[in-house]
Amino acid sequence: MGHTVLVCDDAIFMRTMISDILTQAGFEVVGEAESGVQAVDKYHQLKPDLVTMDIVMPDMGGIDAVRAICKVDPDAKILMCSAMGQQALVVEAIQAGAKDFVVKPFQPSRVLEAVQRVLG
Amino acid sequence: MDLSKYAALFLAESREHLSSCNQHLLEWERDPAAIEPVAGLFRAIHTIKGMAATMGYDGVSTLSHRTENLLDAVRAGRVAVTPGLIQLLFGAIDGITAAVGRAAAGQYEAAPDDAALIQALDHVAEAPFDVTATAELAAVRDTGRHVSVRIRPDAQVRGGRAMLAIRRAEALGAVSDVRPGIGAFERDDFDGRFSFRFTGAAVSSELEQAVRGAGDIDQVVISDGAAEKMQGRAVIRRQIRIDLGRLDALMKQVGELVVARNRLVDLAAGRDDPGLGETADQISRLVGELQSEVLQARMNPVAEVFDRFPRVVRDLARDLGKQARFEAEGGDIELDRAVLDEIGDPLLHLIRNAVDHGLETPDERVARGKPPEGKVVVSAARERNSVILRVADDGRGIDRTAVLARARRDGLVDASVETLSDDMLLRVLARPGFSTAGVVSGVSGRGVGVDVAMTRARALGGTLTVTASEGAGVVFALRVPLTLAIVRALLAGVGNERYAVPIAYVAETVDFNLKSVTAVRDRQALVVRNQAIPTVHLRDLVGTPGEPPGRRPGVILEVGNRKAALIVDRLLGQQDIVVEPFEAPRGMPTFFGGATILADGAPALILDAAALV
Repeated sequence: MGHTVLVCDDAIFMRTMISDILTQAGFEVVGEAESGVQAVDKYHQLKPDLVTMDIVMPDMGGIDAVRAICKVDPDAKILMCSAMGQQALVVEAIQAGAKDFVVKPFQPSRVLEAVQRVLG
Repeated sequence: MDLSKYAALFLAESREHLSSCNQHLLEWERDPAAIEPVAGLFRAIHTIKGMAATMGYDGVSTLSHRTENLLDAVRAGRVAVTPGLIQLLFGAIDGITAAVGRAAAGQYEAAPDDAALIQALDHVAEAPFDVTATAELAAVRDTGRHVSVRIRPDAQVRGGRAMLAIRRAEALGAVSDVRPGIGAFERDDFDGRFSFRFTGAAVSSELEQAVRGAGDIDQVVISDGAAEKMQGRAVIRRQIRIDLGRLDALMKQVGELVVARNRLVDLAAGRDDPGLGETADQISRLVGELQSEVLQARMNPVAEVFDRFPRVVRDLARDLGKQARFEAEGGDIELDRAVLDEIGDPLLHLIRNAVDHGLETPDERVARGKPPEGKVVVSAARERNSVILRVADDGRGIDRTAVLARARRDGLVDASVETLSDDMLLRVLARPGFSTAGVVSGVSGRGVGVDVAMTRARALGGTLTVTASEGAGVVFALRVPLTLAIVRALLAGVGNERYAVPIAYVAETVDFNLKSVTAVRDRQALVVRNQAIPTVHLRDLVGTPGEPPGRRPGVILEVGNRKAALIVDRLLGQQDIVVEPFEAPRGMPTFFGGATILADGAPALILDAAALV
């Protein structure tokens, strides 16, 4: 049975793309969130095996969402999605508890490698 | 057995150990993976406990026993090293210090306040084993391995990979000493090379696998760090403890011997007896050597005073929400015990000022392009017969315009003054209560400490100067004599009396005659090379009756940047004088700094130059 995933990004385009990559690799996308607040709510509700988290989102950013989730569940497997030039934010997200990251534009192979590392 | 004679020894030794405890804790706080601080702390506390129990100081021994228990639990891996633990141990050291102080005052039992501390220590020591702590515990027993990592140069967001590698290593043990530092990971120009120290039980292959798991890792090199840590060298000095009172007594004896010697040399010079002259010379030399040996025995490194400050800076910065790093330089410079005992307070005031009013908050500092952590540097440097102690910070400096405005409003400076020199700035800052009368940004509160430091410096026959630049910190320099016991003095006579003027403040001697006199703001001044120097007539000061001689010498005194011309009847040469402890009788003018016995056995008063200029 495939691992469950929660996809968090404020852009429908990005959510769709990540969902496609993961679904094709056998994952089950159980929910989507378009803000940090939603991400935290849905994480507690769905208890997914994996979360993909955009860094910049309205209504609580991705890093604060990571903090909120890890406070309750330090083992949460969160994969950050960052754009180029967000190095400082990536470092901060990892300190907050994110387990790995991928850099946009996504290459399916890189995303799946990172997911393997997080779940491995 | 009568233990009272050991009390002073106990006090001195336990204070030394407590000071080292603070040092160890600060080190430990900086590097929680280090093991030396824990071992050092344990030894120090253990020693204090043993001594206190022998003396029957229950308050001290109970507290140190409970602290030792907790440290034992840490060493055995039952308690995790956390910031909370270190804070608790700082509290314990404070508690023991207070208990030692009470014991010295004759109160041997535990104080009611100790109960809460003991409860906290016991609570943490007996807390159930915490699994998440194991990694940190392993760190305490292990000297650590050095890990250097390179990320693939073509990898994106290399800093993120580096951070992941650190996190993964942290899951196996303790990571410390990350270079070039986590801040560097956040910069886009981070080249992907970094190293850190790892302490923990994981074998190296396991560690390497974890680090590589961060992705995009090119190379991992792990080396055993145990060897490098063993290379610290130990300097062994054979020492004994001597009660300071004995040294004082010895010093006094030598002082009298010096007086007798001077008298002998005087007498021998008046007789034509080669044998006597030769013996007098020999005794003179031997006494001189003895004197310098005794002076040397009284010398102690300033580090003894500096060692108190790291803790002060840490605690104060913590309370104020600031980040401060303390650095000490020249700790091996030595000062006479009596001087050393006096400089702690003024330095402490200047350091508190630096942290409180000099250093900005981390946000402010970053906004000004400075690192968030401020720096307070205390240094000692030898300069001829004095030692200069400097307190420097890299904070906001002093806003001269604001100080000048305040000083004008308070009538401290003339309205015509356009800018404040460093010397004038100091004089304004050192006015008691200058700062408390109103809040001036960047200046508030500065006054009190400066006032205390200035007064103490003068009492020691020293000086205080300030160098400040807006935005780039302040440097206070406290100059003190190496020793208070013996000074070289110029002897001056008025009427039938002789007075000693410490040579350290004599810039030159000049002829005084009424032709070279002018008036500056209704005060008589002597013109020396186009500079008007206010005159002080010693005759008037001490109330000598009769008429002064027509041609008289003037002694130009210089303290800091201030000068005065001390007009006397005659000059009587120089002499090493032994400064006698001086308890000024009621009504004694403040310009006398002590008394001495001259070579011919007659007493003389020593003038305090700083009070005359």
